[in-house]
Amino acid sequence: MEHETIPGIGKSGTFSWGRIAKHMAILFVLLAVWEYVTATGIADELMFPQPTEIVLSVWPLYGSPGIVWYHLWVTMATVLAGFVVGTVLGIVLAALVGMSESTRRYLQPYIIILEATPRIAMGPLVLAWLGFGFGAKLAIVTLVCFFAPFVNTLTGILSANEPQIELMKSMGASKWQILTKAMVPDAMPLIMAGIRLAMASALGGALVAEFISSNDGMGVLMQNLTAVLNMPAAFATLLSLTIVGFILYRLMEMIEGTVVFWQNDDGMRRASRRREKYWRSL
Amino acid sequence: MSEVTQTGGRSGIFGWMSNPVHLTRLAIHFGIFASFMSVWEWASRTGRLNDLIMPGPIAIADAIWRLYFATGEIYWHFFVTMFEAVAGFTIGGLIGLGLAIAAALSMTFRRYIAPYAVALNVTPGIAVTPIFIAWFGFGWNSKIALASLIVFFPIFVNTLSGLLRVDRDTMELFRSLGAKKSQIFFKLMLPEAAPMIFAGFKVAITTALVGAIVAEFASATEGIGILMQRYAHRLDIAASIAVLFSMSLMGLILYTLMEMTDRRLVFWQHADRLDRVGHRRFKKLMRLRSRGTRKPLGVSRRAQD
Repeated sequence: MEHETIPGIGKSGTFSWGRIAKHMAILFVLLAVWEYVTATGIADELMFPQPTEIVLSVWPLYGSPGIVWYHLWVTMATVLAGFVVGTVLGIVLAALVGMSESTRRYLQPYIIILEATPRIAMGPLVLAWLGFGFGAKLAIVTLVCFFAPFVNTLTGILSANEPQIELMKSMGASKWQILTKAMVPDAMPLIMAGIRLAMASALGGALVAEFISSNDGMGVLMQNLTAVLNMPAAFATLLSLTIVGFILYRLMEMIEGTVVFWQNDDGMRRASRRREKYWRSL
Repeated sequence: MSEVTQTGGRSGIFGWMSNPVHLTRLAIHFGIFASFMSVWEWASRTGRLNDLIMPGPIAIADAIWRLYFATGEIYWHFFVTMFEAVAGFTIGGLIGLGLAIAAALSMTFRRYIAPYAVALNVTPGIAVTPIFIAWFGFGWNSKIALASLIVFFPIFVNTLSGLLRVDRDTMELFRSLGAKKSQIFFKLMLPEAAPMIFAGFKVAITTALVGAIVAEFASATEGIGILMQRYAHRLDIAASIAVLFSMSLMGLILYTLMEMTDRRLVFWQHADRLDRVGHRRFKKLMRLRSRGTRKPLGVSRRAQD
């Protein structure tokens, strides 16, 4: 399993300043064209704010009134809490369901139906149940985060190595041992992939929850800024969401690298070095 | 469900039903379903479940009846959302396919487009909703735009990795036999990538639906998303669950359509389809031969010359 965001691009090995400069040049030209187009009025300034305006609007957002911090904090709290609750629930339930074949068989139709339902679409319903506020947002993010880990864990457990489990059984391993020593490590790459998917959708889920009902959070901030047609600030907010998304993505990549270290060379090398150090110290 | 697809080839459902194990399983399935439903109904009748939180199955069935048959008001909204999703899928898919093909053919282009694709991927596409609504208005356009935005990335990445997956030796062989660039692309790269492209399409079509629905939540006058929100605000939970069912139904319809297209176009990936297409082609060949062409099988005219 190789993880490249964009396939066919070599990883960090091919880093060179010349290429960075070219990238920068292209970006600069794009921005300059954009600036020119809006400054001369070919594109509507109200709708497509100039890059310089966007940069200037970063200051009021982050600096002196600094309104973004509070909303960012609310959204991140929702995302992280919902993510943790959703993934833990998904993995635990999948492990329970995966243990027994008949449970799995009789739950399957319901899982298929639930999978076909767009999760975010349940937002208004959850809202009607739990009312406006943090609880509903948390529930929506949990719902969004639940399925990918659940399905992936179930698939991972189902595709367990049968002969290996037979061997463990014949040597008198308990069910718990089989689960923790054979099934879970085998399923771990898939589980991590599910967790990554959950993280990727968590931010979106939180934003949707905020769009449909909330008083605070990045989604509300975006909506308010566009409602008063303060487009530069809306774009700056969007950019900060990109950065947040990128950080979360990288974070998940790092966690994956350490948890399923045997899946990529880098993690493998790091883990073996750590173990070597440990054995030396003994 | 998987068992049906596994055993029910051409012999149909009756062959499957004749197996007593399957019959008992089916009976247990129905038993579980029926007891679940009756407990639910009982709980809502006796007031153990609040009607405002979770109405009973009969109330929901009644709401479905109302929406689909008594008033029939859902059809228009259903059509609107489906149209938005499909239009967004088409636009975003075409852009994604085009850019992915360009990126697969040119290393330089791939390298320079990569950062933007990554940025697009990590930005939650849904966050753009308010901006799109400001740009494209409250009508269908903003929904289509959002759907095409969030559809773009899965299609782009899958197409690109499919196209780059081509076996080097086969490529060498094609080149050494003097294949033109267009021939390499259409006869080698595209067929090789087709399964992955369709995997991307299948992910994207449900994503497109989510995009359309979310954009409708943010602001719309028609569409299934706004219908659901309206009912939820009126605390008519039964109707809003009925609309939710319609969303699943729409997701299933779109996904199944995609799956059928996949089976038709990428027939060599599915054993039963491969059998059928092979059979058809064989019959066609035999017909040609019996018509009196005395050429040996499988040798084209040019090779004979």
